[in-house]
Amino acid sequence: MSDLPFILFSLVAAWAAIMVVTRDIAVHALLYLVVVLLSLAGVFFALGAPFAAMLEIIIYAGAVMVLFVFVVMMLNLGQTDRDRERHWMAPGVWIGPTLLSGLLLIALCLTLRAMPPTTGSDTLAPIGPQTVGILLYGPYVLSVELASFLLLAGLVSAFHIGRDTRATGVNSGTATGDV
Amino acid sequence: MTAPMPVIIGVTLAILLGLATFLTWFERRLLGLWQDRYGPNRVGPGGILQAVADGIKILFKQDWIPPFADRGVFVLAPAIGMMTVLLSFGVVPVTAFWSIAGTLNVGLLFVLAMMGMGVYGVVLAGWASNSKYALLGSMRAAAQMISYEVFMGLSVLGVVMQAGSFTMRDIVLAQSGLWFVVPQALGCAVFTLAGIAETHRLPFDLPEGENELGAGFHTEYSGMKFGMFFLAEYAGVVLVSALLVTLYLGGWEGPLLPPALWFALKTSALVCLFVLLRAALPRPRYDQLMALGWKILLPLSLLNIAATGAILLLHAPG
Amino acid sequence: MIVATPPRPADLRAPATMFAQVAHTPAILAIEATRDAVPTVWIARQDAHAALARLKQPEAALRMLLDLTVIDERERTHRGDQPPSAFTLVYHLLSFADDGDELRVKVPLPADRPHAPTISDLWPNANWYECEAWDLFGIVFDGHPFLRRLLTPPTWTGHPLRKDHYARATEMPPYSLTEDQEKREQEALRFDPGQWGMHRHSANTDFMFLNLGPNHPSVHGVFRIVLQLEGERIVDAVPDIGFHHRGAEKMGERQSWHSYIPYTDRVDYLGGVMNNFPYVMAVETLAGIQPPPRAQMIRVMLAELFRIASHLVFYGTMSQDVGQLSPVFYMFTDRERVFEIIEAICGFRMHPAFFRIGGVAMDLPTGWDGLVRTFLDYLPKRLDEYEKMVMRNGIFRARTKGVGAYTVREAIEWGVTGPGLRACGLEWDYRRRAPYACYDQLEFDIPTAANGDCYDRVVVHIAEIRQSLRIVRQCVDNMPAGPIKADHPLTTPPPRTRTMHDIETLIHHFLNVSWGPVIPPGEARGCVEATKGLNQYHLVSDGGTMSYRTRIRTPSFPHLQMIPLISRGAMIADLIAIIGSIDFVMADVDR
Repeated sequence: MSDLPFILFSLVAAWAAIMVVTRDIAVHALLYLVVVLLSLAGVFFALGAPFAAMLEIIIYAGAVMVLFVFVVMMLNLGQTDRDRERHWMAPGVWIGPTLLSGLLLIALCLTLRAMPPTTGSDTLAPIGPQTVGILLYGPYVLSVELASFLLLAGLVSAFHIGRDTRATGVNSGTATGDV
Repeated sequence: MTAPMPVIIGVTLAILLGLATFLTWFERRLLGLWQDRYGPNRVGPGGILQAVADGIKILFKQDWIPPFADRGVFVLAPAIGMMTVLLSFGVVPVTAFWSIAGTLNVGLLFVLAMMGMGVYGVVLAGWASNSKYALLGSMRAAAQMISYEVFMGLSVLGVVMQAGSFTMRDIVLAQSGLWFVVPQALGCAVFTLAGIAETHRLPFDLPEGENELGAGFHTEYSGMKFGMFFLAEYAGVVLVSALLVTLYLGGWEGPLLPPALWFALKTSALVCLFVLLRAALPRPRYDQLMALGWKILLPLSLLNIAATGAILLLHAPG
Repeated sequence: MIVATPPRPADLRAPATMFAQVAHTPAILAIEATRDAVPTVWIARQDAHAALARLKQPEAALRMLLDLTVIDERERTHRGDQPPSAFTLVYHLLSFADDGDELRVKVPLPADRPHAPTISDLWPNANWYECEAWDLFGIVFDGHPFLRRLLTPPTWTGHPLRKDHYARATEMPPYSLTEDQEKREQEALRFDPGQWGMHRHSANTDFMFLNLGPNHPSVHGVFRIVLQLEGERIVDAVPDIGFHHRGAEKMGERQSWHSYIPYTDRVDYLGGVMNNFPYVMAVETLAGIQPPPRAQMIRVMLAELFRIASHLVFYGTMSQDVGQLSPVFYMFTDRERVFEIIEAICGFRMHPAFFRIGGVAMDLPTGWDGLVRTFLDYLPKRLDEYEKMVMRNGIFRARTKGVGAYTVREAIEWGVTGPGLRACGLEWDYRRRAPYACYDQLEFDIPTAANGDCYDRVVVHIAEIRQSLRIVRQCVDNMPAGPIKADHPLTTPPPRTRTMHDIETLIHHFLNVSWGPVIPPGEARGCVEATKGLNQYHLVSDGGTMSYRTRIRTPSFPHLQMIPLISRGAMIADLIAIIGSIDFVMADVDR
């Protein structure tokens, strides 16, 4: 019974993931992907990692996916793109990868079954934000620093790409308005 | 004074939706006061039944979905907008004992998460409408709301550091000595601006941009779907005011009066501030808005975090 | 003591340098003497372009093409010794460097397929004027970049202002709009970028073509701009006018000289009595009437009150377009005070039609000076408040400073007059440079600004409100006593003492207001510094009770033509600010 939320969230995630790959309108697929991420957040929550759940929603579903939707909106996809998607949905296309993925799944299950059980308490204790913070800046501080390098690189390249290289004439209105 | 959870949820929902409806009338009266004219004052005492009349009118309107629009997403978008705002209220503690989930240990993060999801309402509305004006409006909205979410998140980190927890109730309890608006003045200012931008109210209402885009992202909406956007906007105003009160203005704390009344008074004062901003200020241009955010608010909120952290470390025991 | 200002005789004016430049060249066909003493020369079609090109030199003379119009001469009987012509193309040039230097160049064109060389390579603002001449008269301009219908719909047939075109719909079979016709009309309005030489995509993006208008909160009337957008930046813009065209010029040919006055009110609908001013001045010049001093001063006072009212609308709508929703309400309250005065004096508010040929309709009511003085004391404090609320607001300044700027040279090339020209730094006001009514006896400054951007245009408008208050105060303090109508047989309606005494005066009065006064044949123009710029009425009389040709040169027409020039590269939000700062009214553009 206590597993019920976990089971529900997982089922929703799985079903939504199938919907993602079978839609022919790109924005619909992206919306189902958002549902997948939201249900994954629910799974995290049910497993006692509320901080991870919230971060999943804030960053993944709330920022990364919005960017995806934004870009797809700009592409202005039309009927021809829908037809092309439907064409690519023909069984000849997805049978192969699905079989191979199925083999992978079986292999994964067998390997997990064969692994020795982890030593630790049986009950799951929720991990609060304070614990996560202490761990991040304790044993895992190196990964935090690496992540910040990556973010800095992203920031600099975004600034470089988005720079207004047009000559600002008298009519363009200041690109960097002083407020 | 507490009650079983269904009662709390029911009462909160009723008050929220009633407040959003009431605000449609109240804002117009208040704007009229500041603009040297009467607002609606015919229907009912002081015109207060205008809200009811508007509601009835909008419910009876033809439920028209443009033939060129994407039907499913078109109907979904206002629902997302309303839902995220209502969900956020779940973690706002009205008093120490009255809240739906005020003791959630990641309460503040939950609010930020819901703000992030609220962007979808606007963006999908514009896309589903399949019209150029709506698309322009939602493009602006997406960029604006995403950017200001960042500043919102960064500015409340100072509060989290001082309170030592993400739980909304604990944040309010930590203000029993001094309201956070005093040490976190900078963060409060940034949070207010970010909050106005998130609810796309004037002066940051470019997604609607009445004077420029017709009606922006909700150009193609009519009837109750438009009403839903409208109510979601007012509910958002109440939400940001309630958050400001909770995070910076001491929540329900105050002498003499019962805590719930204090909370209500403080939130109402901030709602009036929102309406005053709408009456008074012009609208910056889109690039000026983004420049304000990224070039001024971001450094300020980072400065706030650094300063708060430094001072806390200096005064830390041992 | 205020005296009546007589019209300027030609020999008292500064030496007409433009006239001197062309008068003795062999290309001249004739020199015409018009009743308004504007030097007029006739030049043959093949020499017109060269002569006008020479007239544009020297650069420092700042010569503007004020007006370009056509007169259909085919039914005109009293032409005197003018060269034979079926259609007369009239160019009116005005120099901003030499006071009072104007020249009218007339080019005779034949009746069969009239055509003339374009001068849009000399003066860019000729573009729309020539389109209008093609649209309304059928004159083809060789070499014009894109000759098309401007004021009538693209599907219109015929040329409305020609004498053989019907004036009333009742002269044609009944009109019905079938579905097919409606589809055809809609298709005709569809924008085709190829026609304008626009590309549909750049190297890596598609352009978006967006219709701003004709139904839009911020375009100030029924006005359509088609924008070529790259994201939010405007690559190019095409203004589309004509939605508000009501045929005011054609109606002038069907109304008597007197009954046309209310039509003029409605051309610039915020200007009220300011529109009557140039029209009655032109008729009075034709008739040789000199209005008495009291009438002149009443006219000036009312005109300045309407200038204040119009500028208040500009101020309020400008701040509203930029997003500030409240100031417009306060300014409209102030306008109510102005209308109280105007209603007390004229009887109506926005379209009083108060001026008459020869004076004004009625005398001022008792207590009028108290009303006006109360208003004069009331407004300056309010203006100071708006200064704090709007002009010193950081966001307003950020939205308007540096946006939509143009230079004096560009303004003159494109026909900009009024506050838009003064905001570039040129201190030029028709009331000072070529005074009419009693303006030469009144003290007022000409406000200017330096940069010619949106902010400066607002600054100039506000300063003009203060100057108008000054003028009104002088009018209240110095209002002369005396009659309010000239004692002249052509004054319409005749002064009270000359009506209803005996059968003579009764007949005279009755004929004057029903059939209309018979104005002697000739041509004259009346020009004023209206609220938005130079407003000129060019009237041609053929000795009848109705005007033969009424040409209304409105200030807002060339202002709109300039929009693409100043909005290329700007964002849509800037375009809204630019449109708001131009201060136009669609009825003023389309007539």
